[in-house]
Amino acid sequence: MKLDPSFIWTAFLQLWSAVPTTLYITVVSVSVGFVIGIITALARIYRIPVLSQLSSGYVTFIRGTPMLTHLLLIYFGLPMLVDGLSAHYGLGWNSAKIPMIGFAYISFSITAGAYLSEVVRSGLLAVDRGQMEAAWSVGMTTPQALRRIVFPQALAASLPNLSNSVIGMLHGSTLAFTVSVVDLNAKAQIVASTNWKFFESYVAAALIFWGLTILIERITGLIERRIRVYSKGGVA
Amino acid sequence: MIKLNGIRKSFGRHEVLQGIDLTVNKGEVVAILGPSGSGKTTLLRCINYLEKPSDGQIQIGDFTLDCKHAGKKDIYSLRQRSAMVFQQYNLFSHKTALENVIEGLIVVKKVGKEEARKRGIELLEKVGLGAKLDAYPSQLSGGQQQRVGIARALALEPEVILFDEPTSALDPELVGEVLAVIRRIAKEGITMIIVTHEMGFAQDVANHVVFMDGGVIVEEGNPAELFGNPKEERTKQFLKRFTTEYSYSI
Repeated sequence: MKLDPSFIWTAFLQLWSAVPTTLYITVVSVSVGFVIGIITALARIYRIPVLSQLSSGYVTFIRGTPMLTHLLLIYFGLPMLVDGLSAHYGLGWNSAKIPMIGFAYISFSITAGAYLSEVVRSGLLAVDRGQMEAAWSVGMTTPQALRRIVFPQALAASLPNLSNSVIGMLHGSTLAFTVSVVDLNAKAQIVASTNWKFFESYVAAALIFWGLTILIERITGLIERRIRVYSKGGVA
Repeated sequence: MIKLNGIRKSFGRHEVLQGIDLTVNKGEVVAILGPSGSGKTTLLRCINYLEKPSDGQIQIGDFTLDCKHAGKKDIYSLRQRSAMVFQQYNLFSHKTALENVIEGLIVVKKVGKEEARKRGIELLEKVGLGAKLDAYPSQLSGGQQQRVGIARALALEPEVILFDEPTSALDPELVGEVLAVIRRIAKEGITMIIVTHEMGFAQDVANHVVFMDGGVIVEEGNPAELFGNPKEERTKQFLKRFTTEYSYSI
């Protein structure tokens, strides 16, 4: 078998149609995961009873098991739960109505939540306690202090880790093909097997992933430069 | 007027404050002296409720808080009556000098942005930083940061400003500029409680000096009396180190 460089371009064009799916999965899982991450990180830092133990358990379990396993657990477990509840309460739900990508959204959000919980926690811990005290001393309430003083600094501190997680979720989204979601990688497989040009299609997929990753790095760089002006140092 | 009544605070089994009573009149400048571990900083932090006292009452102006039954609302209203100047400055590091000063005005006092800016600029000019309005804390020297910290406290027009060793983290060269600012605002009749190791400064700025050791007030009085003629043995011992030269030679 010989390499067909021109097919890389052909595949490249055909793969574009799957890029939105990959991006949707990434954006949804990171956004929902970020919210989960903030809640669980705060619960653990402030040692809120029950919630903090639940959060710690969630984080260790999810980080201790592979992302593919989460997807399969949700894929096989969720329908049982939905149909069970539906039968018990007569809700008329049907698990067959859940779109395939829904399983990916749910399970990857759970995955991202655990990793982002650690990202958020390290960001919050990076903010000096004196910042909170200063906010209290000017009369702010704890929620005001968190929102206006602590969170912006925590975000700046956790940006590199955050971008790392986004890239991880972008690449991890390829696992969605196991539940028949046609993401970038699954599309590459389809293009490859219909043309018998596997290597070329996967090269095209790799290039697109690389491009998207560079884009994420650039965007992070821009945000970082904007929100970290304050730590430049030197004398004004 | 500030009145502390039977303030107690323990960290674990160690009782750092063993029932402190202190009255500070309006316009008075009180200096608290004492060795490390005497509880003076803890006392100051209790007044701002950055530490929760285990017992006692704190009265600032017409507001009294009983530490045993203090709710969130009580704590917030107590804090709004005082402002703290920290040893490590603790300026909001993601905000400029001006934003630091007006943050409390806008968020807590609900002053309009324009008016707050005007007041902030006035205050920064007053502490000699009119040219550094848009500088971030990381771009300022320690002395400049501490002066922003003082402006931030002044902006809130609290009934008392609490200074927690305001010059201890500074280069010896920068101590003077900060003390000069504190001295100037002391003359304006603002009530202040200052925890300090600057004996000379305490002696000439304070109207009232408190000496603490081991979680209690050992002795208090006017500066001439306390520095010139201390009554307690512990006070004499402490002050001796600052008034006499070292007895050994190198």
